[in-house]
Amino acid sequence: MSIFADPKLGLVPGPVHDRLAEQSRAMAWYDWAGYIAPSVLDSVEFEYFALRNQASLFDISPMHKYRVTGPGAVAMLNRMVTRDIRKIAVGRVGYTLWCDEAGHVIDDGTLFRLGEDDWRLCCQEPMLSWLDDAAWGFDATITDESHTVAGFSLQGPTSFAILEAAGLALADLKPFAFATPEDGLLVSRTGFTGDLGYELWCDWDAALPLWDRIWKAGAHRGLRAIGYEAVDIARLEAGFLTAGVDFQPVHATERLHRGRTPFELGFGRMVDLGKGHFNGRRALLAARAAPRSRLLRLDIEGFKPARGALIYDRFNRELGHVTSGVWSPTAKRNIALAHVKMPQAEAHPARLWAEIYTHEEGRWTTRMARATPMKAPAFAPARARATPPARF
Amino acid sequence: MSRFDAIVIGAGINGLAAAATLARAGKSVCVLEQAAAPGGMATLRLDDGPELAPLLWNLSPVVLKAFNIDPATLGLGAPLPAVALDPGGAHIVLRGGWATSLSGETHADGPAFQRLHGQLVTYGALLRRLAEAPPPGGGTLLSQPGLAQLLRLSRLGLDLKRMGKPEMRRFLQVLLSNAYDLILDEMPDGPLAGLLAADAVRGNATGPRSPGSVFTLIYRMGHGGEVRRPEGGMPNLIRRLDEALQKTGCTIRTGTPVARIILEDDRVTGVETKGGEIIEAPRVLSSLGPKSVLGLTGAEAFDIEAARRIRHLRTRGTVAKVNLRLTAPRVPGLPDDLSAARLVYAPSADYVEAAFTPSKYGSLSEAPVIEATCVAAPDGRPWLSANVQYAPADLDGGWDDAACDRLRQITLDTLARALPDLPGAVEELQVIPPTRIAAETGAAGGHWHHAELALDQIFALRPGNGMGRYAMGPRGLYLCGASTHPGGDVMGLAGRNAAAAVLEGWV
Repeated sequence: MSIFADPKLGLVPGPVHDRLAEQSRAMAWYDWAGYIAPSVLDSVEFEYFALRNQASLFDISPMHKYRVTGPGAVAMLNRMVTRDIRKIAVGRVGYTLWCDEAGHVIDDGTLFRLGEDDWRLCCQEPMLSWLDDAAWGFDATITDESHTVAGFSLQGPTSFAILEAAGLALADLKPFAFATPEDGLLVSRTGFTGDLGYELWCDWDAALPLWDRIWKAGAHRGLRAIGYEAVDIARLEAGFLTAGVDFQPVHATERLHRGRTPFELGFGRMVDLGKGHFNGRRALLAARAAPRSRLLRLDIEGFKPARGALIYDRFNRELGHVTSGVWSPTAKRNIALAHVKMPQAEAHPARLWAEIYTHEEGRWTTRMARATPMKAPAFAPARARATPPARF
Repeated sequence: MSRFDAIVIGAGINGLAAAATLARAGKSVCVLEQAAAPGGMATLRLDDGPELAPLLWNLSPVVLKAFNIDPATLGLGAPLPAVALDPGGAHIVLRGGWATSLSGETHADGPAFQRLHGQLVTYGALLRRLAEAPPPGGGTLLSQPGLAQLLRLSRLGLDLKRMGKPEMRRFLQVLLSNAYDLILDEMPDGPLAGLLAADAVRGNATGPRSPGSVFTLIYRMGHGGEVRRPEGGMPNLIRRLDEALQKTGCTIRTGTPVARIILEDDRVTGVETKGGEIIEAPRVLSSLGPKSVLGLTGAEAFDIEAARRIRHLRTRGTVAKVNLRLTAPRVPGLPDDLSAARLVYAPSADYVEAAFTPSKYGSLSEAPVIEATCVAAPDGRPWLSANVQYAPADLDGGWDDAACDRLRQITLDTLARALPDLPGAVEELQVIPPTRIAAETGAAGGHWHHAELALDQIFALRPGNGMGRYAMGPRGLYLCGASTHPGGDVMGLAGRNAAAAVLEGWV
């Protein structure tokens, strides 16, 4: 992701850019799918702690959103994605991945079942031509809603109280469910932080008043507008992957063998090999038994963030590298995601070491730190799942 | 309900060849044909007219072997002379690559033509090696099929070397280039050059200046470049093949269109006919094009990329059939010994390219390339069976009656330029546009080869990446028609190769 300081470089403002610009002291913007998006508005520490201890508001309108409708929508989507979407009930949201014919992940995203034959797919990568290809031969219509549907992510322990204060009482809304409390407003209990939180979806033109409404409701509940850097720490704590960082969306790669199967990314449970044919199934059946590598959640000794570190078996045999690494202020652990070679990494998980590169006052050094695979994410609080949620 | 080792959909030459190859290996086979008789595109007839494909260029002896037929007993007839028609009346007669005038004098460009023709035939024999086996890719290098492939490719390399350095260099130099340049490097433009240019693009949606047209010209010369008319016509030939196939115990059911291919747990278990009957078999070989097969299974049986490749396969037919019923079994204006000759109206290579141009934009050629031959219909009446190119399947405004009338007139006018007495001898005209061929036979676009024979759609890439070894999609599903390697032309090799590939992986 390139960091832009100058919106004149062809980026366009998002639906609430004026509000974000008012808030921005850091003037740190980046390019998110062609939109001017904040990396940081004030300081990443303030924003991160607001997200974990109060509430945060993050504009996710640049995400790609596609509507899939028609009598063949279920069959079409089920042929495209790896999980059995027939199990997603109306009013529910499902996390899913989709693969190319070689079984390599193209992207991941969330599928909203708006009606029996009415779906919305939210994802990071542009996917229109792929969806059009996938819909050929099916009675399904694809509509690109990327620039007509806006979205905000309201995350943090006080997010439920803020919604309530804004007049949106959603006490019964369970995780991965959504509701339409008002015409033109869809609220889903989803997010990218692993915490209690909601995503609010509305028409592009209705975004500004909605932002103001939430903002006002959050005034006494510690609400803070945040940029991507704070989200990036939170998602790593929750163990979520970022496309292009923790895995390479296969359509964006030019070199051979850079794609990864869901099994290699640790998403084997998201692959339903028994549901009938889906894209890449034949390749996945063959690839399942022998993953080339594995994405691991690691707990790294010490406190130096391990981003970019190489992973070794003992001290000499290189096994892989860290894709994301950060000191988790909430879990008080030094966490990382790393691609490691299989089956070597599995053979001796206790012998993994990270070679961390540090640059301190003009000098580059390396230090070896023990890397311990973690079974669970570093941060998964019970409050994220409680229904009705607490107000705090 | 009945059970077989394999079901073959379509009883065209390739379907029959596939069934024969499997049956010879001791497999129980059922061939399902939608039409009332086998033969497919080759024997398609309107009313009491002649068959669609009256001439044989490339029927493969390898295929006849699968039927256990001795080619000598098949009555394939003698090689036919060709006549390059000249609008000025100075027609050129070709016999075995030797060009003379009607009165028998050697043509000025005769030696040049013979040299080039000879070269093309030599090259054709080389390429035939590749045509006579499935494309490489089956099994590992050290498996039996893998070693056989390696051996075959090494033989090809040896043969290439054996031609000598200059010839090998020339072969590799011209193989991917365009026919127009190749031909006009050897001789001045005229009916001889036009004939070769027309043969280079026959059936394809390309012109002689299109890249790859040398390849298709060489391909056409794969069995010596001679053209024959089987005794009793193509229906008779097909009947002989059909009889030979029945002797192997193979079941052939005509008038039985297939409604769908039945899949269970990503493998083929049989087909359901339009009559609602279920026929079980763990393997289905379809001589239909891949898009039609996809219609029988549903797109969900295929990966998205495979469906995209299938959808983007170029299958635009450009040849219409025009049958002209004659008063007598001779062509007015030609001596009697040429009454069965293959007539080609393509006065120059430039003319062929100019004929191609309108078809790029969905229009009829006003001055088309015509290949015609005088044949007897099954009832004995004489017809001039003409292939008129270019008459694109995707004609602007569609192939309505007016368009057919227009093509009828264009055909008569064009032939009359070289044979002024012909129109007076024509009693009736039939027009079969590519769309009609498509509707009657299921060949997408009414294309001769079911899919354009072009450099990006041959060999292991025919009909598409990942389908070049005949297997596609679910387990047990195979293609065996002209849309696979090595293509159509009533060669039969596609079906035979497909069956060979199926047998390689038989478990």
